[in-house]
Amino acid sequence: MEERAPPAVGEATPSGAMRLRRSSPWALLGAIVAIVAVAVALSSLLGTVFIPPLTTLRLLFGLPNACAGTSVSPDLCTRWGEIIWQARLPEIVLAVIAGAALGISGATLQGTFRNPLADPFLLGISSGGTIGAAIVFDFHVGQVAPDLFLPLFAFIGAIATGVAILAVAVSRYGTVETLLLTGVALASLLSAVLALLLLYNPSGSQQVSYWLLGSLGNASWPVDGIALGVLLITGTLLSLFGRELNLMQLGGDVARSAGVDVRRVRIRLILLASLTTGVAVAFTGIIGFVGLVSPHVVRRIAGTDYRYVLPGSALVGAVFLLGARDFALLVYPTSLLPIGIFTAFFGAPFFIYLLFRRRVGSPMGSL
Amino acid sequence: MSGTPATAPPLRLVGVSVSYGARTALRKIDLSVRSGEFVALAGPNGSGKTTLLRTVLGFVTPSAGRVELFGDALESLSILERARRVAWLPQEESPRDDVRLIDYVLYGRYAFHGLLEGDSEEDYRLGHSILEQVGLADRADDGLLSISGGERQRAVLARALAQTTPLLLLDEPTSHLDIGHQLDLLARVRDLAHRRGVTVVAALHDLNLAARFADRIVVLSRGRCVADGPPAEILSEGLLAQVWGVVADLRREPRTGMPYLIAHHLTTAPRGPGSGTGFGPVHVVGGGGAAAPYLRTFADDGYSLSVGALHLLDTDAEVAEALLIRGPIEAPFAPLGPEVRERHRALLAAARAIVVAPFVVGPSNLANLEDLRPYVRTTPSFLVSRPSITERDFTGGRATQVYQQLREAGAREVTGMEEIVRELRALSSGPPTPSA
Repeated sequence: MEERAPPAVGEATPSGAMRLRRSSPWALLGAIVAIVAVAVALSSLLGTVFIPPLTTLRLLFGLPNACAGTSVSPDLCTRWGEIIWQARLPEIVLAVIAGAALGISGATLQGTFRNPLADPFLLGISSGGTIGAAIVFDFHVGQVAPDLFLPLFAFIGAIATGVAILAVAVSRYGTVETLLLTGVALASLLSAVLALLLLYNPSGSQQVSYWLLGSLGNASWPVDGIALGVLLITGTLLSLFGRELNLMQLGGDVARSAGVDVRRVRIRLILLASLTTGVAVAFTGIIGFVGLVSPHVVRRIAGTDYRYVLPGSALVGAVFLLGARDFALLVYPTSLLPIGIFTAFFGAPFFIYLLFRRRVGSPMGSL
Repeated sequence: MSGTPATAPPLRLVGVSVSYGARTALRKIDLSVRSGEFVALAGPNGSGKTTLLRTVLGFVTPSAGRVELFGDALESLSILERARRVAWLPQEESPRDDVRLIDYVLYGRYAFHGLLEGDSEEDYRLGHSILEQVGLADRADDGLLSISGGERQRAVLARALAQTTPLLLLDEPTSHLDIGHQLDLLARVRDLAHRRGVTVVAALHDLNLAARFADRIVVLSRGRCVADGPPAEILSEGLLAQVWGVVADLRREPRTGMPYLIAHHLTTAPRGPGSGTGFGPVHVVGGGGAAAPYLRTFADDGYSLSVGALHLLDTDAEVAEALLIRGPIEAPFAPLGPEVRERHRALLAAARAIVVAPFVVGPSNLANLEDLRPYVRTTPSFLVSRPSITERDFTGGRATQVYQQLREAGAREVTGMEEIVRELRALSSGPPTPSA
């Protein structure tokens, strides 16, 4: 009698306690894949040149006589086909790849650092890429093949920053806090270096500032091929770390007591996220907010399980960047405005909206 | 190594020392825990309980000695292998994500999953049965953040249990729980040990809980093991004073037969607000319980105290003893003898203030008043005037006479507790008075 004194279990439920629905996250992911497919098709309708929608779709699906029955000359029809296949589609595919890469990197870094604000920018990985690009612009490195050297240097810059953070991770000071602060400090340091580079050689500054806002203008099938190759490998590997990230959200010690080699996993995750970010930065420059916002969107619709947050963030990131590209073309069809302007334009207010909409009492981590 | 896993103890520490820089957290700890035993680690904050647990988990590397889990050296086991042998319930896990309880519990199955393996039907069955075991069967689909703190700690226990390890470590698992949930959690843990053969090592700072639930208590003090054995054997007032610096009464709980402790105060009581640094001794003269409230209050306020000649078995004498206040004691009901009076005078001479409680004066203790006479001239002295001396004079007027002499010699009358406390504070914060 004295032992059992059962605590009042039943009454402990706050009246507002919400039962988490047993939604199938995979069904949600399937829906997002479908949305990506539709978004790709719709995006192909938009471009700097107007092509009638039906014709576009016919060209897109490779139907013969795409322009039959219209007043369009076969010559123009061929050119339209080239525009769609050689300009629009590579750009759209790059948007999907870069968006997915930034989304999954953001989710990985938020999980690794247990911080809802972590993303490739906060940690300086993107800034590292910019330094690489600025070196190419300012010192006219690799004039022989700028299409090769610019992404290569940007990629190296991003990876180098990731490795610098890793150096802290493997040291005995490698707690989540020191890692995060190291990244933030590196980001500041790199922007100082960038400012110095721009002052040193103002002629490159316009190119660099264009780069700083991100663009899909470098898209081509070979570029897409390389980027996709890297993303498929890193993205697949990252998606395998869902269980580890779930446990790491409970704290490094808890994760370790449950069998996660936290240090090793952290190193792998940072390295993979740097590679993934690096490939996006290399070809598109700096596109903000995709990495930050996408994981939060996924958490709101599919829950906080990283087994779903990781692939989900890739898909949401893809849709987000594609949407930004489409919107840019809708409002200003004839120009190639830097896409980073639009991701920030929508990303920032949306992020604030998410912050204010989060359930009362739920902490930042679960937004 | 030193035995087959079947016979080797679940946990063995041999000469384990741990240092954090210059600070030594554990010194040469030897400990062997039997299978199915519930061992409580006790000791004040900073005594090394948590460090010991963290060493067993491999979070901290010992500077000397070795840790063995089921006969195997800890460092020879991978992180995964450790997770299959020992699970950990941290002091407070503060989950930030609103995960369904059942999913959260299955996080504990990490060490048993292949790279691409999902949670199987079997995992879910296990998860649900564990939730039932901790009394959360009907909350499986609730979010981790929507349940109460007491339930959450049980959910954390469930996650640790999902590791299905034969050894379970708990780090002050009840420190954030109310008394009902404390009892509930520890009863469940004890059942695990006694019914399912899980070996449990728990850091518990509540000694009464430790005594009630554990088979064995290991007491750490400044990184050393100072006591080890069944609660009834090792818990003593002396241990409490030595390790915790606490004066306590050890009683036996009539229903369970278990020892329990009533802590009174620190052996070195902290100084209360307003009291001067190191002020004292304040000497209290009393008897028959009249001095007890003054002694308690002054002790709480942090004065060092002495007490004037009392009789054995007298209430004041018992209180003084409990508070570790020095004073000469005479045999029961006997008149105060010359030796006792001599020691009383020595204490009076050393006192920096004298408080005369309103005690009943009879022939056997009249000397207490008489002996005061020379000292009230030189030492600030206070006579508590209520109830008045005439009401408690059982010496035929002799006591009243001495009382008047004390007043004339400089002793001041105070009406009661409030006034004397004020006077003592003023005295202790004022310029130091040379003692007589």
